[in-house]
Amino acid sequence: MIRGLLKRRWFALGAFVLILFVGMVGMKKMVKETSFDAYFIEGDPMLVKTDEFKAHFGNDYFVGVLTECDNIFTKKNLTLLRELSNELLDSVSYADKITSLTDIEFMVGDEWGMTIEQIVPDEIPDDGTPEMDEIRRKAYSKPNVARKLVSKDGRMSWVVLKLRAFPEDSVWHKETDVAPDMQTGEEVDRVLNNPKYASLNPKGTGMPVVSYEKMEFINEEMSRLMMIACIICLVVMIVMTKSLRGVVSPFLSVIGGMFITYGIAGYTGMYVDSTTTLIPVILGFAVSIAYNIHIFSYFNGRMRIHGERRKAIEETITEIGWSICFCGITTIVSLLSFLVIPIRPMKCVGMICSMTVLFVMLTTMVITPVLLSFGRNRKPREGFTEESDTTWTRAMVRMSDWTMNNSRIIVTVFTVICLVLCIGLSKIVPAFDIEQTMGIKVPYVEKVVGVGRSEMGSLYSYDLVIDLADEDAAKQPDNLRRLERLAKVVEGYPLTKRTTSILDILKDLNQTLNEGDEAFYRIPDSEEEVAQMMMLYENAGGSEAEYWVDYDYRRLRLMVEISDFNSAEVEKELNDIDLRAKEIFPGASVTAVGNLPQYNVMMQYLVRGQMLSFIISVLIIGVILMIAFQSVKVGLIGLIPNLMPAVFVGGIMGWAGVPLDMMTATIIPMMLGMAVDDTIHFINHSKLEYDRCGKYPLSINRTFRVVGVAIVTTSIITSAVFGAFTTSPCAMNFHFGLLAIVGIVSALAADLFVTPILVKRFKVFGNEINN
Amino acid sequence: MKAKVILTAIAGLAFMAPVCAQNLSGRDIMQKAKDLPDGDTRYAEMELTLIKKNGDKRVRKVTSWSIDEGKDKKTLMFFTYPGDVSGTGFLTWDYDEIGKDDDKWLYLPAMKKTRRISGSSSKTDYFMGTDFTYNDMGSRNVDEDEHKLLREEERDGQKCWVIESVPVDKHEIYSRKVTWIRQDCCVPVYVEFYDKLDKLHRALTISQISQVQGIWTKQRMAMKNVQTGHSTVISVLNPQYDLKVDKNMFTVAKLEKGL
Repeated sequence: MIRGLLKRRWFALGAFVLILFVGMVGMKKMVKETSFDAYFIEGDPMLVKTDEFKAHFGNDYFVGVLTECDNIFTKKNLTLLRELSNELLDSVSYADKITSLTDIEFMVGDEWGMTIEQIVPDEIPDDGTPEMDEIRRKAYSKPNVARKLVSKDGRMSWVVLKLRAFPEDSVWHKETDVAPDMQTGEEVDRVLNNPKYASLNPKGTGMPVVSYEKMEFINEEMSRLMMIACIICLVVMIVMTKSLRGVVSPFLSVIGGMFITYGIAGYTGMYVDSTTTLIPVILGFAVSIAYNIHIFSYFNGRMRIHGERRKAIEETITEIGWSICFCGITTIVSLLSFLVIPIRPMKCVGMICSMTVLFVMLTTMVITPVLLSFGRNRKPREGFTEESDTTWTRAMVRMSDWTMNNSRIIVTVFTVICLVLCIGLSKIVPAFDIEQTMGIKVPYVEKVVGVGRSEMGSLYSYDLVIDLADEDAAKQPDNLRRLERLAKVVEGYPLTKRTTSILDILKDLNQTLNEGDEAFYRIPDSEEEVAQMMMLYENAGGSEAEYWVDYDYRRLRLMVEISDFNSAEVEKELNDIDLRAKEIFPGASVTAVGNLPQYNVMMQYLVRGQMLSFIISVLIIGVILMIAFQSVKVGLIGLIPNLMPAVFVGGIMGWAGVPLDMMTATIIPMMLGMAVDDTIHFINHSKLEYDRCGKYPLSINRTFRVVGVAIVTTSIITSAVFGAFTTSPCAMNFHFGLLAIVGIVSALAADLFVTPILVKRFKVFGNEINN
Repeated sequence: MKAKVILTAIAGLAFMAPVCAQNLSGRDIMQKAKDLPDGDTRYAEMELTLIKKNGDKRVRKVTSWSIDEGKDKKTLMFFTYPGDVSGTGFLTWDYDEIGKDDDKWLYLPAMKKTRRISGSSSKTDYFMGTDFTYNDMGSRNVDEDEHKLLREEERDGQKCWVIESVPVDKHEIYSRKVTWIRQDCCVPVYVEFYDKLDKLHRALTISQISQVQGIWTKQRMAMKNVQTGHSTVISVLNPQYDLKVDKNMFTVAKLEKGL
């Protein structure tokens, strides 16, 4: 096969260029998803609940803007706030309604009349006038309204932009590649960055803004990490191969792998997630360098021996090709295990990464031999044979001797470390919030977390939907009083910042209709009163009610805004709310929807999915090892050192408090897939040597000499490539890089120190031959 | 005058008679459509059906009386459905004078209270959760828009003028509207409202146009917000014109007395 390839090398190069071009065209069709809604797989119960919520109450996403200045109650600042509110309403395509100090349904009533008016009149009065004092008085006259609009000291104000329901994916895809939440985030960002609002220091939050800023950050970060990975690749390959071809080949393999993979993704409309885009790229670099180093080092060795280029290529592919394919397959199998996790970005990582590894491997197997075939034969190095030693091989031999002589100490140390780390495994906590996953060092995260913790702003919200089963039941005072009890329960939790429901409007209406008497800030006494007050409200121009009660008056909505996030507390509170809600509404169904319940469900999916993914990887790789070495014993023994990266990575995550997120969740199965490569190399060569000499110590010694250097080199290089992630200010990238290095190094340590001892102790190839 | 009250306007839309002309400008045609006779007094039973994108419906039924007093118009309505708002009354005095706000009162029988309603906080001014704005329903002054006759074409078998109207006041919620007006009776049959990004926002379809007591009457108006999928259908039942109605019927006292 290799001879045929070399004969048609120009055709192969032409075909490669054509494939790259076709792939590049496909890449342009690719749409990167960033919307959190897209994380769930179609038909997921949480998605069904969210869709049902949207059908009744509209978009659950909103945009919040926190403004901060010396005093909002000045002509200049109120004018700016009004302009900002108007511009948001006019410039944001999906804007539905704005609520701010200058744009609010403020009910005013006396014995005869009622009006829904503005706190700030059309003509904003001058500073220091009684009219301006009246605006301030009015703003604070209703504490329940004021707490959602303006801070106690009048420095901060809170603007909420409600959004129209976003269209179905199939609808917006026809017109644009930009998802509605991204479009909203971009439009809001443009308005808030208008220099004329600078004195208000507007800071945006809400899912569309957060998603947009995250995408912007990731795109920038990806370019930076790509550059670092390229530099590492360049330096490593120059040092290792000392040739132009050595530098070009891994780059071509990565380009081939990425273009073909993302080209297919573009043509087939595959889901591609922006958060995890970096993983396939860096993994592509790591495996490309590893495969090319194997090929180049073997090829250079053969060239030193006989100097015949084509013969050296044929020998290299015959000898190394099989192990590269085998290593590639084990890595792909591990990555495909992510498909069992019911979260789309995780499935995306599994699919895109496996495709990348596959195409990098195929490109390497085709393009690298073709590139090596150009050039003349060389003179062989005199006296250089297969048995010749270098400084590094001598060091490996010494390490082999040390390992075999200190097996008891090594086993003891490894056992103790593993036990300690296993305790850490139980301490791993999953996380989906931006503070823990992205980290406070990322500028936009620092900003939105700051907004969430301020007196006015909020970061996340969730909704409780009470389905009372009967039409008009939501107008019954008894049910409204139950809602009031539930709201009080929820407000008692530490994470809750404030709640909003139809009760705010009804109580305000009741007070307004009763000459502003505070004693009437309560739920009306009868269903008829509720219905007729709502009629009055709508006739007076009120339009907020539809956000809080559905058309059939069957479902009530309680929105809960929280200022902070704590995974364990959220889980506890949501479970508690579920129990309390069932007590308060015995005949109704109470459902939690929104970001927080979604995070909660996703964290459960991630924990379960990661476990399942790991078990599947272990089982499949075990079976592959058994088949490859035609021995159940070898397969099982070979698995032991490969469990080390899982114990080390998981244990360190638990002890160091590194959360399980979408990046870190990929590490253990990925490391398993990569670490097993070294085990394969080691056991494969040990078997060869054992067949030759029949003695375990000698065969292990020779194995260290022949494959030891390659194992150490590839581990160092892949660690260096993954190390690019540790330069990121983003917490999950940093954790990913660090844990990948831990995984690779622990796998290397296990292969160098544990595998030889296991091979010898369990006599995996049979009893020693005496003569 | 600020936005007209919807129910008055429903009556206004419903009671129109034909006067047609040829070789007219866009403005002339709009003026003719506005000036169609609709009787001095009128009565109708109306059904408002609000339909959400998911198909959920909210139905309200009202009985309405209306009288012209010079150029002003007074309307009294009582809700008859659903049961919990039955008897709720709504009285409007709609003044023609520019700059003079309409007077509106609502009577709430459950609390035996009447409240005069003034003002509206919403920029969009949608009425009672419908897709109709006060402006859509009111007798909007023709000169509040600049009109242009675009073309003549057939729509649903009827020859129509197609007129584009661009509001003079840039604060209107639509950037332009396009109206199809039947040439035989000068009644609009279809209107498209475009938002500030010039994307179609709402579409009004008027059907079941027939002559009642010699007056062209629109008996079904369906407004759909194409961006949200929400729609409102107003059906006019049992329309009657030029009835004998006492002027004193259109007072707060009568409002509180009920049907």
